[in-house]
Amino acid sequence: MSVSSSIRPALIAAAILITTPLYGQNSPASPAAEAPRAPLIDLNESVAFEVCPHTGMMGSSGTFGLKLMMTYSSFSLELAGEQVIGRTANLYPVSINAVLNLATHGRLIPYGAVGAGLWLTVPVNALGAETVSTLGMNFGGGARFFITRAFGIRLEAKQYFTTISDSRGLKNDLLFFQEVSVGATFFFH
Amino acid sequence: MTTTTLLSRGALFLALVAPPAGSAGAQARYEQSLSLSAGLYAASGFGTNFYTSGRYDYFIPGTRWFIEGSLGVGSLTSKVMSSVTKAQIFTSDNLVTYEFAGAFDYAPGGALPFFLFGVGGVREGEETHFAGVLGIGKRVALPGFLGSNALGFRYDIRDQIFSQVINHSDPFIVHNITATLGLQIYF
Repeated sequence: MSVSSSIRPALIAAAILITTPLYGQNSPASPAAEAPRAPLIDLNESVAFEVCPHTGMMGSSGTFGLKLMMTYSSFSLELAGEQVIGRTANLYPVSINAVLNLATHGRLIPYGAVGAGLWLTVPVNALGAETVSTLGMNFGGGARFFITRAFGIRLEAKQYFTTISDSRGLKNDLLFFQEVSVGATFFFH
Repeated sequence: MTTTTLLSRGALFLALVAPPAGSAGAQARYEQSLSLSAGLYAASGFGTNFYTSGRYDYFIPGTRWFIEGSLGVGSLTSKVMSSVTKAQIFTSDNLVTYEFAGAFDYAPGGALPFFLFGVGGVREGEETHFAGVLGIGKRVALPGFLGSNALGFRYDIRDQIFSQVINHSDPFIVHNITATLGLQIYF
């Protein structure tokens, strides 16, 4: 073996030993930490408002409605009005609801709600029939899924109940109605 | 089928679907619009009358979808009913409609129409019906019209489908058709 051929492996080994630590130092020990992303919706940021047109079904009747919400963090106050289109009468529940948001930031905000209000039952084409108003309560839950910072989709299921009495006030009936609705929500500060 | 036929059909399809060069769709620049439309409302069994409607659209950014809320006013006046049968079916001839719908606009700047589906309320006299709504339409931007790039016109054809009972008849399905042309302002 000549001198040059015996030196060549030593030179290669020395080059590897010298360069490897350099490469090792250049490469980060762990991936760079990403800058924290701001959540799409942050209910803790400030007081926020939402306008929610929606439609759905209550029993076999179609519904239309509008909800106005004022939100800060987990709590929202909601004013809701809707029309339930029946064959013999239209029902107009108007209620004030307290909403507990189960998440305060991100795209998906599930919530539970409870409220009370006035139910106006307006008969259709019944001679002599008058509008009947009763007090009612409701509870339920749903979720809002935000597609952008200003727009989302809202799904909700609710149970409504009210009492009505006959014309002589001798008998009270407790009535239950279930409603499922889907709508849009427009979010702004 | 020959290659020429295939190519010509493909070219026709592309011409319909592809937005014209330089016409950035309104959907890319604006998120909302208001429009005022006028046209005809054909109420099944009652005849056709003038109809006007106002519409609000929200264009979901980054998608080809938009949602729409609308309110329309028309009439149920029927010459046949009033002059021949002397019948008054509803308590008045007033017609009010409102709709809540979603629409898919595959080619906002192309020639294909958008397709719309949703629900609506049709108030005839004092009777309100919950209706399904199907429709097509087209939004056409009018860049530079009246010195603005935020104006356009639109046409809409809608079918409001609902179940109706008249004078204790069995329920039957009616199709009320509207055709309107309107001016649209984007913001």
